[in-house]
Amino acid sequence: MIIKVNNLVKRYDELIALDHFNLEVREGEIFGLLGPNGSGKTTAINCILSLLKYDKGTIEIYGRPMAPDAYDIKRNIGIIMQNVAVFDELTVYENIDYFCGMYIFDKQRRRELVEEAIEFVELDSFRKFLPKKLSGGLLRRLNIACGIAHRPKLIILDEPTVAVDPQSRRKILEGIRKLNEEGATIVYTSHYMEEVEEICTRIAIMDKGKVIASGTKDELKGMINSGEKLTVEILEFNPNILEGVGSLPSIVSVDYNENNNMLVAKSRRGKNNLSALLEYLRNNQINVGRIYSEPPTLNDVFLEITGKELRDHV
Amino acid sequence: MFLHIYLYRLKCIIRDKQNVFWTLMFPLILATFFHLALSNISNMESFTEIKIGIIDNEELREHKEFTEIIESVPDLFNVTYVSRTNADKLLEDGTIEGYIHFDGGLKLFVRESGINETIIKSFLDDYMQTTSTINTILSQNPAAIQDGLPDSLFDRKDYLKAGSAGKSEPNTVMNYFYTLIAMTCLYGSFSGLKEVTALQGNLSYQGARMNMAPVHRAKIITASMSAAITFQLLVVSTVLVYLIWVLKIDFGNQTGYIALTSLISTVTGVTFGTFISSVNRKSEGVKVGILIGTTMTMSFLAGLMYDKMKYIVHTKAPVLSFLNPANLIADSFYALYYYDTYTRFFSNIALLCGYSVLFGALTYLAVRRQRYASI
Ligand SMILES: Nc1ncnc2c1ncn2[C@@H]1O[C@H](COP(=O)(O)OP(=O)(O)OP(=O)(O)O)[C@@H](O)[C@H]1O
Ligand SMILES: [Mg+2]
Repeated sequence: MIIKVNNLVKRYDELIALDHFNLEVREGEIFGLLGPNGSGKTTAINCILSLLKYDKGTIEIYGRPMAPDAYDIKRNIGIIMQNVAVFDELTVYENIDYFCGMYIFDKQRRRELVEEAIEFVELDSFRKFLPKKLSGGLLRRLNIACGIAHRPKLIILDEPTVAVDPQSRRKILEGIRKLNEEGATIVYTSHYMEEVEEICTRIAIMDKGKVIASGTKDELKGMINSGEKLTVEILEFNPNILEGVGSLPSIVSVDYNENNNMLVAKSRRGKNNLSALLEYLRNNQINVGRIYSEPPTLNDVFLEITGKELRDHV
Repeated sequence: MFLHIYLYRLKCIIRDKQNVFWTLMFPLILATFFHLALSNISNMESFTEIKIGIIDNEELREHKEFTEIIESVPDLFNVTYVSRTNADKLLEDGTIEGYIHFDGGLKLFVRESGINETIIKSFLDDYMQTTSTINTILSQNPAAIQDGLPDSLFDRKDYLKAGSAGKSEPNTVMNYFYTLIAMTCLYGSFSGLKEVTALQGNLSYQGARMNMAPVHRAKIITASMSAAITFQLLVVSTVLVYLIWVLKIDFGNQTGYIALTSLISTVTGVTFGTFISSVNRKSEGVKVGILIGTTMTMSFLAGLMYDKMKYIVHTKAPVLSFLNPANLIADSFYALYYYDTYTRFFSNIALLCGYSVLFGALTYLAVRRQRYASI
């Protein structure tokens, strides 16, 4: 076990930011911590890193209790904060070199590692730039390079893709996967479920300071009652159709959008939901156009457990 | 490791243009400004020999001892022996500042009244008083003259002081520059502030990253503070060099002690900044405001804007002058220049050391903690 957090409670005065928070991260995985804004992801990370005081609970990293002066543990951690943490007066190269130098004493080795990090985030042509000359996406990449240059075994990234253009985001996600392939264990927080779903091998979903569900994405989707979302184009609509489809045993809810003539039905977990729907439509001589079936998403998981959307827009 | 942090922190401080402007350029500009405003008054600080004429006549030759005595203080007067008509001409075109004429007694002719004229006059007054003293001594104890009595009666320093007594006192003029240096030392607090911000997880994101480094806290703190002190020492040295070599302000020649004062004062300034920065969580802008406010108040009370202030504080609220680091720093330079003994100097230095240790210790206590209630 790389990280083990047990019943962590953290309060900011009256506000309970972490409420008996539990977490286990295993070696070699890309662990995703998914939760809406303000759910306590950053607070959890900062407590795990011993940056924040907490009220209750235990935190172990590599099987040993984490503490501010646990330097041998810290030596193996790379941290990429949610906010860019680089020095304005130092160039790209110098920033990476400065932070890398906290871990690596040998100058020659350090130079190699800094070069590798620069290459990794593709900032080679910007090495002499000061941070304020970098665009948001490049700055994020510098921020990442500062956290990983010393080749830590455990890398914690707190929303590294916030406010990043799609191209940089793609690079960052690819990079994270590459670091993982090279042997690092990754903890990744985000409120973008698509990202988490794409790269994480295991996921914990947070809400209001608690982990409400955790497991692989299939396990998570298996926990809920909703199955696929079925979308069917119906050109000649009448209200009876809604009623009829709604009464099908495999359908949970149904809706019709007059603007694009789409009928959207959410099905229960189970097999043959789509064929049951199509069979009903055929039997009633209703002509159908395009048809889609989408598997449940983490948003559905979140929605079902908490009764609200993970994000306002999907 | 120490060196790695130290060098990079030094780089950061030196590249911070705003910091460099306020800590270095501002004192230099202020010094120049003071110099222009006060140069009349401080003329005598860069003292050069006073050119005088003496009318060469019978009566002068009768007072041989006068010639001897006036030539015994060559670094005070540059004497030309001239005729009466020539003397008037030289006085007119400013070659000499006055001339002395034995004409049925000692007479002094000057063109205007200033410090130099006052010096000549007080020299002559002394001469007349002393000659009568010497005459008395000689008549009562002729051996006394062999003990070098006349020498001690005519000491150059006395005339400089006598001359200055006439005009605004020189030590108050000098005090402007001493407090300016004091202010410069205390401006080290800005770098101190910057350093604490950069290493405190609850003050900056960079600080949070530093908190994650597997490096002992004390090492990071001392390396950062050393960088701030180094930078500020460079600043203070530059300002001192500018004052002494460019503006020709006399700080005396006790280089070692001047360096010691600068060092300890700089440490006081830097630790003051780290202290203010570490004990509260106001924004950096607010803290800079606090530092500007406090250092300005201290410098003001030490006499930066108004030369009588130091004296007023000293008489009305003597405790304040011991509590005020700016005053202690300025007074250390003052004591070095005007006092032959070191008691006053070292008591100032001891108090400054006390402050440094106090501020440093409080900073360490506040900063060494690494887990924060909130970030
Ligand atoms: N320093 C603080 N003082 C008081 N409350 C705080 C502080 N930091 C965070 N909070 C509160 O704690 C809760 C958790 O915040 P946290 O930043 O951990 O959430 P998050 O999941 O990281 O959100 P985001 O996605 O916006 O980064 C929020 O309600 C937040 O308002
Ligand atoms: Mg966050």
